[in-house]
Amino acid sequence: MSERIKELYQEHILKKSKDESLKGVVQNETHRLEAYNPMCGDKFTLSIRVNQNRIEDARFDGFGCAISKASTALLTETIIGKSLIEVAPLVNDFLELIDEDGNRDPEMIFKDDQLLAFAAAREFPERKTCASLSWDEMKTLVNTH
Amino acid sequence: MVAKIIMNIESIKSQFPIFNQKTPLGKELVYLDTASSAQKPQSVIDAISGFYSGYYANTGRGSYWPAHQATSLFELVREKVANFIHADTKNQIVFTSGTTDSINKLVNAYALPLLEAGDQVLVTEMEHHANLVPWQEACKAKGAIIKAIPLNDQGELDLVAMNELLIKKTAFVSVTAISNVLGTVNDIKSITASAHEAGAKVFVDAAQAIAHKTVDVESWQADFIAFSAHKLYGPTGVGILYMADNLVEEVNPLAYGGGMITHVGIESSGFRNGPQRHEAGTQNIAGVIGLGAAIDFINAIDDEELQKHLESLTVHAYQALVNIEGVNILGNQNAAGVISFTIDGIHPHDLSTFFNERGICIRAGHHCAQPLMQKFKVSATARASFGVYNQQTDIDQMVSAIHEAKAFLL
Repeated sequence: MSERIKELYQEHILKKSKDESLKGVVQNETHRLEAYNPMCGDKFTLSIRVNQNRIEDARFDGFGCAISKASTALLTETIIGKSLIEVAPLVNDFLELIDEDGNRDPEMIFKDDQLLAFAAAREFPERKTCASLSWDEMKTLVNTH
Repeated sequence: MVAKIIMNIESIKSQFPIFNQKTPLGKELVYLDTASSAQKPQSVIDAISGFYSGYYANTGRGSYWPAHQATSLFELVREKVANFIHADTKNQIVFTSGTTDSINKLVNAYALPLLEAGDQVLVTEMEHHANLVPWQEACKAKGAIIKAIPLNDQGELDLVAMNELLIKKTAFVSVTAISNVLGTVNDIKSITASAHEAGAKVFVDAAQAIAHKTVDVESWQADFIAFSAHKLYGPTGVGILYMADNLVEEVNPLAYGGGMITHVGIESSGFRNGPQRHEAGTQNIAGVIGLGAAIDFINAIDDEELQKHLESLTVHAYQALVNIEGVNILGNQNAAGVISFTIDGIHPHDLSTFFNERGICIRAGHHCAQPLMQKFKVSATARASFGVYNQQTDIDQMVSAIHEAKAFLL
């Protein structure tokens, strides 16, 4: 087994890809995001309740590869309780984390191990869209809100 | 008893320079994605480079030395293609940029003006998007109805259902010869017979079939057949649209421009007869020359041996996969050179990334066949497909990688 692949599918990501604790739909949903990659068929729905510019609750549902599932689950978990203003730079940081052309070293971007695990995507540019799928949609939401 | 030529895979494989190198991760290349695009033998690469360095000129125009040679070799390939698919004459062979281009151009130039509101166009549930979406758009534009011939659970066309659908006035039946996902081989001869009896014209997508050397104009009797050079070990950017009988002149020009006219005035122009009627502008000459070399390459292999080789690889893969717990195979083992499968709990893209680490190339995704994915209630599959250079050991390596992936990812 190569070290690269171990890095990509390290426990954080594999574990998170099987974590369905935030699967579902929020009550009194205010926003619904559809993250869909027509090239591979991966599809996730993010159900979000925003109140006074704060994400009170979020859930996700859908199907995709381990990377896209884990990144969607982690996004959902990460945004709960944060204001949209806080989420905006976080999303940009994550997109830089997984970008092979990202300027900063991963450790300069995040301290959290779960988020840092996705830095391995820099080694697998063909899988970048899996990691960014739901985050790209979230970026659109915070930019247009 | 006549001695059969046994395919020497090692010697065939040695003609493909890509296999002489290692992957960036230092692995031998195990290429199991020929259904997407085939690797190229040295002879094809040399033919293309030989044209550019030895006798480059535009075709059909210049009255000087390299132009003569380029034109005559270009036209020689047209003849090779005609012979390869058993067409009556090279005048039935139109060059395009690929199967997708052939279908789009045919639909726009021929089907669109012909379709009337209420007409029916039949496709199948196993069509590649390229043989579905152009027809959909044409039907939408003309108020025609598009319907799909259904498949059974084995992934085979339901010909009884097709005949029932044909009761309604049908303008076109458009069907693939071999499914790019399931490898199902359709009975084109009988489909064409039924469709013609109902008064419909028949288009056959032979993108997958061409590399099996089973495209047979005489037996199929289809009106139109399309395929690409790149799936036949030839270059990208070249395709064929075969047209039967006098359809070459009946079909409106596929494109307008230089080289396809007889005379041009400001308000109207006249168009040539023969395939040149459809070939506007400078053609992909190098690509066509490369296709000629690809046909020579594949013609050096006995038809029956080639088919037996691809069949034995498919059966070997089927039998190996069917015994792995959690592996679900779409379709059956009668497939032609293609096998699609899913693994419980492992997404095809994760599998494909995992395989890549071992130098194994498979395709993961919906394979441009979303209606078929819906039919089998999956969002994506892993697909292995085989070419002349593959050996059973390639499949064995894939199988061992599946076991490793299961141990790691599940």
